[in-house]
Amino acid sequence: MNSPGAKPKSRKEIAFWFGVGFLVLLVVFAILGPLIRHDPLVPVSKPFLMPSGLHWLGTDEQGRDVFARLAYGARISLVVGFTVQILSLLVGVTVGLLGVFAPRWIGMPLMRFADGMFAFPDILLAILIIGVWSMGLVPVIVALAITAWPAVARLVYTQALSLKDREYVVASQAMGAKTTYRVVRHVLPHLTGLLMAVAMVDLAGTILAESALSFLGIGVQAPQPSWGSMINIARLDMQSNPQLLVWPCVILCLTIFALNFVGDGLRARLDPKRAD
Amino acid sequence: MKLAKALVMRLLFGVLSLVFISLVTFMADELAPGDAATAIIGEKATPGAVAALRQEMGLDRPWPIRYVEFVGRAVQGDFGKSYYGTKEPVSTILSQNLPMTIRVATMAILLAALIGISLGTWAAVRQNRGADRFVLTLSTLGVTIPNFVLAPILVYIFAVQLDRLPTTWAVDRVAPDIYYLILPVVILSLRPMALLTRLTRSSMIETLNQEFIRLAVAKGVPKMRLVLRHALRNAILPVITAIGTSLGFLLTGSFIVETAFALPGIGREGIEAIQKGDTPLIQATVLVAGALFIGINLLVDLLIPILDPRVREAAV
Repeated sequence: MNSPGAKPKSRKEIAFWFGVGFLVLLVVFAILGPLIRHDPLVPVSKPFLMPSGLHWLGTDEQGRDVFARLAYGARISLVVGFTVQILSLLVGVTVGLLGVFAPRWIGMPLMRFADGMFAFPDILLAILIIGVWSMGLVPVIVALAITAWPAVARLVYTQALSLKDREYVVASQAMGAKTTYRVVRHVLPHLTGLLMAVAMVDLAGTILAESALSFLGIGVQAPQPSWGSMINIARLDMQSNPQLLVWPCVILCLTIFALNFVGDGLRARLDPKRAD
Repeated sequence: MKLAKALVMRLLFGVLSLVFISLVTFMADELAPGDAATAIIGEKATPGAVAALRQEMGLDRPWPIRYVEFVGRAVQGDFGKSYYGTKEPVSTILSQNLPMTIRVATMAILLAALIGISLGTWAAVRQNRGADRFVLTLSTLGVTIPNFVLAPILVYIFAVQLDRLPTTWAVDRVAPDIYYLILPVVILSLRPMALLTRLTRSSMIETLNQEFIRLAVAKGVPKMRLVLRHALRNAILPVITAIGTSLGFLLTGSFIVETAFALPGIGREGIEAIQKGDTPLIQATVLVAGALFIGINLLVDLLIPILDPRVREAAV
């Protein structure tokens, strides 16, 4: 984004490191949170308890520990986010590279298919897949991966197309290097940085999408908590217990901000010219 | 004429997108376990009974034939019958729900365009000053904070604490409809609003740096007239295109907002259909929403040459 109101570099640095720090904490929280004190899936106390020494963030409408549930939600978000990103990178990079390096009769139809899928509004595609298949963790992962890969394929395609004609790649071809060797040694290494940065920002989108689907009640199913379904359930008791709404909203927004900061920071590191 | 050719190509692309969406919609059900016959007759039926029904419904024929039939019926507005409830035709259910979605979405996009273009213009004129920074921060927040976080928070503030607005849509409404629609429309409009603000701002900044603006300044055109007549008229075209693109946000938002506020629109109906496993209704919702999305984007793209003489002339 070429904002002429470019902030001083230090502020962006702070945002980047805040993002990194927050994400590290989030991973620790996701791994340890559900284990340390209470079972996140079953009632452990009276409902609607306020935060206390025993229940750090209080209990929800069924008397389940909110801290443990929030941590379990972090697990769900991270597992969905990373699995979807890995799947979409695998498929997207393969299709994008095939689009450039495979024979035309393979590459062309593949890329046109990617274009078509890209034009399909994400939410409709996800809803269609979950609708005809089923609700739950696995369908959500598959649905989100299917909506995510076309963007990666298109990005890899345009990038690889310009890399293909760089002198060193052409030289390596002239020296008799096979296509696979050229792709693996000369093209892919140039893409990894950019793909990492894009994946960070896409990760935010995936986590949001999972929460949105769970908020709608068609994502992760009870008793497993997701931040989205926690928000949806907390809405019902908003009048008496607004605090239950606060935690999942805050942690979700912080996660999204952190991922965007890290993605922007990575991109700036890769391409200092464009970041200024 | 190049323009005519470009328009025909654009039209063709729109039709192709529709075909693609219908094919994916059809194939998704095809690849999923179970089909209409098992859904209607129930899980417990004998394999023989299922096979008989399948033959009766024509489900044993190859898929390309059934796809063509599926499209043929969909074009005539026949999406089959709902599996559940009174087994109404899907088209009846859709026509009951579509008006609300269109009503809310239209209000939201108008609000987004009005405020987005105003804020963006203001920020561009005040580039790099306090007002500009403020608008930029606001639009970043608008893009980042999800609808489903904002909806409960605003409901809590305006409906629960201040008690100014109703929490959800109701069948027996005590106040004019608009009171029930304010929160959903505002929430739905925020993302497109933020997007349009950013785009107007950058497009205006680019335009304000051009020669003809400097000439106008030198000639002593009053500032208001300069910004509105000279600059905005030129800067607004990419913004109009973006209104079409931001419909994608509206689509996602409609599902959230209609669920959050219990609005009887196709978003909520689609979610309920998924929870029940009502495949024909899901397919029809996706098809109709997809067709609307493609149609409006097509319309916007065809509108540009009408609005912009430069596009018209460059293409001749």
